[in-house]
Amino acid sequence: MPPRLFLLRTRPAARLALGWLLLLVIVGALAPWLPLPYAPTTPDLLQVAASPATSSGHYLGTDSLGRDVLAGLVAGARRLVLLTLPAVALAILLGTLAGAAAGFWGNRRLRLPLAAIGWALAATWWGLRLPGVAFLCGLLGISAALTLLTWRAARHPTGHRRYTCALPLDGMVLGIITLLGSVPRLILLVALAAGPPLATPQLLALLALLAWPEAARLVRGQMHWVRAQPFMEAAQASGLPLSRIWWRHALPHACRPLLAFGPLSLAGLVGLESALAFLGIGQGPDVVSWGSQLASVRHDTTAWWVAVFPGLALFLTLLALQKLAKLASSAVHK
Amino acid sequence: MWRWLFGRLARAAGFAWLITSLVFIVSRQLPGGPDQLAVADLSESGRLGAAAQAAGSQQVVRLAVRRRLGLELPVFYVTRAGGQWQWHGTANQYHHWAVAVLHGDLGRSYRDGQPVGTLLREALRFTLPLAASAAGLAAGLALGLGLYLARRPGSVGARLLGGLLNGLQVTPLFLLALGLLLLLANPEFLNLLPAAGQAPAASSGGHLVVYWLGRAALPLLSLVLTVLPELTLPLVANLRHEATTGYATTARAKGLPVGQMLRRHALPNALLPLLTTLTDLLPALVAGTVVVEVLFALPGSGRLLAEAAAAHDYPLVVAGVLLTALARLLGLLLADMLNFLIDPRLRPSA
Repeated sequence: MPPRLFLLRTRPAARLALGWLLLLVIVGALAPWLPLPYAPTTPDLLQVAASPATSSGHYLGTDSLGRDVLAGLVAGARRLVLLTLPAVALAILLGTLAGAAAGFWGNRRLRLPLAAIGWALAATWWGLRLPGVAFLCGLLGISAALTLLTWRAARHPTGHRRYTCALPLDGMVLGIITLLGSVPRLILLVALAAGPPLATPQLLALLALLAWPEAARLVRGQMHWVRAQPFMEAAQASGLPLSRIWWRHALPHACRPLLAFGPLSLAGLVGLESALAFLGIGQGPDVVSWGSQLASVRHDTTAWWVAVFPGLALFLTLLALQKLAKLASSAVHK
Repeated sequence: MWRWLFGRLARAAGFAWLITSLVFIVSRQLPGGPDQLAVADLSESGRLGAAAQAAGSQQVVRLAVRRRLGLELPVFYVTRAGGQWQWHGTANQYHHWAVAVLHGDLGRSYRDGQPVGTLLREALRFTLPLAASAAGLAAGLALGLGLYLARRPGSVGARLLGGLLNGLQVTPLFLLALGLLLLLANPEFLNLLPAAGQAPAASSGGHLVVYWLGRAALPLLSLVLTVLPELTLPLVANLRHEATTGYATTARAKGLPVGQMLRRHALPNALLPLLTTLTDLLPALVAGTVVVEVLFALPGSGRLLAEAAAAHDYPLVVAGVLLTALARLLGLLLADMLNFLIDPRLRPSA
């Protein structure tokens, strides 16, 4: 893509930002194979709170428990690559699908045949082993009758809308978004992580759960704009099925703002995850991240190097992500 | 108008109740409940002898604690046990909790058995003034900064301030607050303000007020700085947009200075979109107090919530979520009222 490469060549700040992020990803991905003299969690009890100038072998010093700061930085980068990045990817995927579906189908346009709802209900009833066999039999009977009726009605030229009911997709998605938004993300995260320490997949799922509404809202808004475009009418007039129009024609256009939104969303989640680690909630004592490193400076405020390096890494990452978002949005609007 | 407002509030209150209920149910399913804490406590303090630490007596302790806290009941109206769905009627934890909360009883803390309501009230006496003064200060500063930045877009000062605000926008609150703590309240560096420790024991009311003002200065500064960009940057954009419109040109043509034109004519129009941020401002401040109070060791509700979460003290956590949701409700109400006051066009007719 020539225009974007051109932007890269002209703006040194953007190149710096991209370089830093690339470095982080490479370090995070290769962390287990890097030749580091110390592990992030094993304390070096001979050199506790040693400054970078006086200690031997600890290039960035050690914290008040004797853990190597450089190894901690690398472990934090690895956590970024293994936890936050997949969480953002999952959140954007979920949010895009939900928001695009809600924006395209709205409350009225998606009509499900009543028979399908009946069959699905019966299958759920049976799958969950809910009590009441008579009810299940009744449900199956009604579903069968509806299927027959729908099949007969479909032979009429105008009968295919009979025995269907609209699924309020937009209302459902908006309801879930409002529900998750009625408490700030940090508070909800603290409350849901209040149990015993979470494993990485659980924390990943939790972060994705908290992050998807933003992407969904953005894509939904863009989808409203896309639906008003003339090519949508043209696609419908040419007789394409709605699902195909949605997937092939509307979705790619609705995803355009995500290019600038992705880095910002990632920055938000990095901040959120670091804040949780900083508060020490839902984390095992042996997990090292930038947030937990920053928290450990409170035990010994004279050891400035424990706070400065992770703080700088975090700040630079967030700044680079913001720069990347600006770059992407200017590339999109060009 | 009142009916519309009431409907909106009722919806928001419903959602607040729903999310609190969800957190309640999730928290009751989590392991690490009070019974396990009690067992761990007992075996640590050595009150149980080596022989008595057998699995049997642990089971007894666990059961006793569960019965005392009402945890032996099923969690919800319907539960599934052993592949069978069971209906429990009103004899379940959620029903008891909901009835108690609606009567104003938030339950008791798992850790020390104190009523959650009392604990929260004590803590709020500290947090409410902190959050309210942060909101007021931030709003005032945002107005002033916005007007200044909109008046001289290209000047060196405006550019510096804009860059600073952009930098602040990406900095998470805990990083900002930690930086302030290490710079301004550090015996190794500048030790300007007290940041931790006990209040002076034998001192009069006046001294105590001065002491707490000193303690609250840095947290207040962090909170203000962290919400300032979100308030200021949109305001500046709005003001600059309004300054290009026709009525602004007319005002300038009749001889008004730029500052007065911005204040008198552009500001009322530019202010309106800012009011919607108010809905998010109050909950954001409540979330901010969690970080700030932990870091600066202030005895407020945020620290209460964070410590409760770290110690698996679920009744306090659930109450904290409810409180935050109510803060958002209040913000919503405030934003709507101000919108109605400022712009009559927004009132839905009939």
